[in-house]
Amino acid sequence: MEKDVAQKTAAALKGAGIDFVTYLPETRLSRILPLLEADSAFKLVPTSSEAEAVTIASGAALVGKQPAVYMEGTGLFVCSYNLLTVSIRVGTPILLLISYVGSMADQKNSFRFAPTGLRTEQQLRALNIEYQIAEDPAQVETQLQNATRMMHALKQPVALLFTGAFTL
Amino acid sequence: MNRSACLESLVPHITDQLVVPSVSGQWIWGHLTKEHDGNLLLGSMGNALGVGLGMALGLPHRKVIVIESDGSVLLSLFNLPTLGALKPDNLVVFVFDNEKYSGSRISRPSATAAGTDLAAVARDCGISHAVEVRDLDSFKRESQGALSRQGLGFVVAKVEETLEHRQAERSTADLTENKYRFVRYIERTEGKAVFRGRG
Amino acid sequence: MEPELASKLVNGLKAAGINFVTYLPETRLSQILPLMRQDEFFQLAPVASEAEGVSIAAGAALGGKQVASYMEGTGVFVSTYNLLTIAERFGIPMLLLVSYVGSAADKRNSFLYVRRGTRMIPVLEALGIEYQIVTDGENLETRIKDAVRMMHALKLPVVLLFTGEFTV
Repeated sequence: MEKDVAQKTAAALKGAGIDFVTYLPETRLSRILPLLEADSAFKLVPTSSEAEAVTIASGAALVGKQPAVYMEGTGLFVCSYNLLTVSIRVGTPILLLISYVGSMADQKNSFRFAPTGLRTEQQLRALNIEYQIAEDPAQVETQLQNATRMMHALKQPVALLFTGAFTL
Repeated sequence: MNRSACLESLVPHITDQLVVPSVSGQWIWGHLTKEHDGNLLLGSMGNALGVGLGMALGLPHRKVIVIESDGSVLLSLFNLPTLGALKPDNLVVFVFDNEKYSGSRISRPSATAAGTDLAAVARDCGISHAVEVRDLDSFKRESQGALSRQGLGFVVAKVEETLEHRQAERSTADLTENKYRFVRYIERTEGKAVFRGRG
Repeated sequence: MEPELASKLVNGLKAAGINFVTYLPETRLSQILPLMRQDEFFQLAPVASEAEGVSIAAGAALGGKQVASYMEGTGVFVSTYNLLTIAERFGIPMLLLVSYVGSAADKRNSFLYVRRGTRMIPVLEALGIEYQIVTDGENLETRIKDAVRMMHALKLPVVLLFTGEFTV
């Protein structure tokens, strides 16, 4: 992800009202992290597993935070249990910011990512999680606002899958 | 301490062991030991301890070596009580702990940077031979001891972050190709079929 | 599960050649565990999470064992990442013995289980994992043998979902 795209994404998260971000770092979108850390509007929570990242964000949602969980696409499979038994079952609005590794537009795609990546959207559909694909930084502000509105309307997790220019 | 130097010091001791590298130093290890058919590259975090434990239980007379990282062990920390309970005496685990997610391009700190002591956690899980080392001589002493001894070994090597893995030659062998190379090696050395079913 | 059905299930596994079983105990099928423990044909590996249950079974399969992993249905969501990145990505033959909690025929179904149960089939289909639902002891040995033949033919995990009489 180029620096200006990272800045645009971080600003859009703030504009959408996200104020609590749990994460397990990965490669493609990681440049947003120093920006979020430098801005006191965000409470940034590092974790050791996407499973706990989802559970912690759900807890924060239940006490009035507007949380997002930032993870690599493979993390979706690590936290499926937590999404299902906590976020979906209880109904906590959380925004999943997923680096869509192994997708067609992933600029770093390889045999290490593609076979698992192609299951990502199927898994989201199986869990009944609404999602959109973000590949154009020009649209990121609108997409984040739409996704945040949707998660509050549903009181459910909503996912944005970042690929294309976000994976440079 | 430098991770590559540690890995290089292990190479002369590799004979017929089964080696499961996690993502830490996977390309460096793969390059150093490219002739060793007993390597199984996993290419994912949080799986090497489990897969290595399964191999150790399934082939109790073979030595199994797992090469892990701090981030990967933290992702599947539930492996440690299971290891402590089952205590396979043919498994040696090396955890290279640089206190960072260095695959993340911006090197965010892992929980070990904030004080989590993986060797102490392992000991509290019943892995009595869990040690932490901070210099190459200690690593050589502990690794050779763990490899020659019968018993579950767990060596946490505190290393500095290096970016040399980005320069390392990356194998283009697909994970499935790598699996079959490993499986044929097991069949050759164990004299039995690994996978069943009609041809 | 009635003791007779538990014996039938364990005998079926033995007849199909399964000789290595990882497990995290649960309620509905747990009577099989003492039976397997007293038969030295089976090597049992108790685990702390279904996630490692799958990875450990995969390692044993690579060492030439005929493996199964026994878990509650929720464990499928816990081990999704391992099923995808190890069992499916590497092509490991593995029988999953899953207690299908929250299914329509689950005799102990309640609000605690049902939402997880309804996501089971969509998630297995999203992962591309073959499955069969078993509701009674009729032809059980044949059904287990069929599943084991299928897993060896596919070199992939195959799931048996136990409900109905197995959940009494």
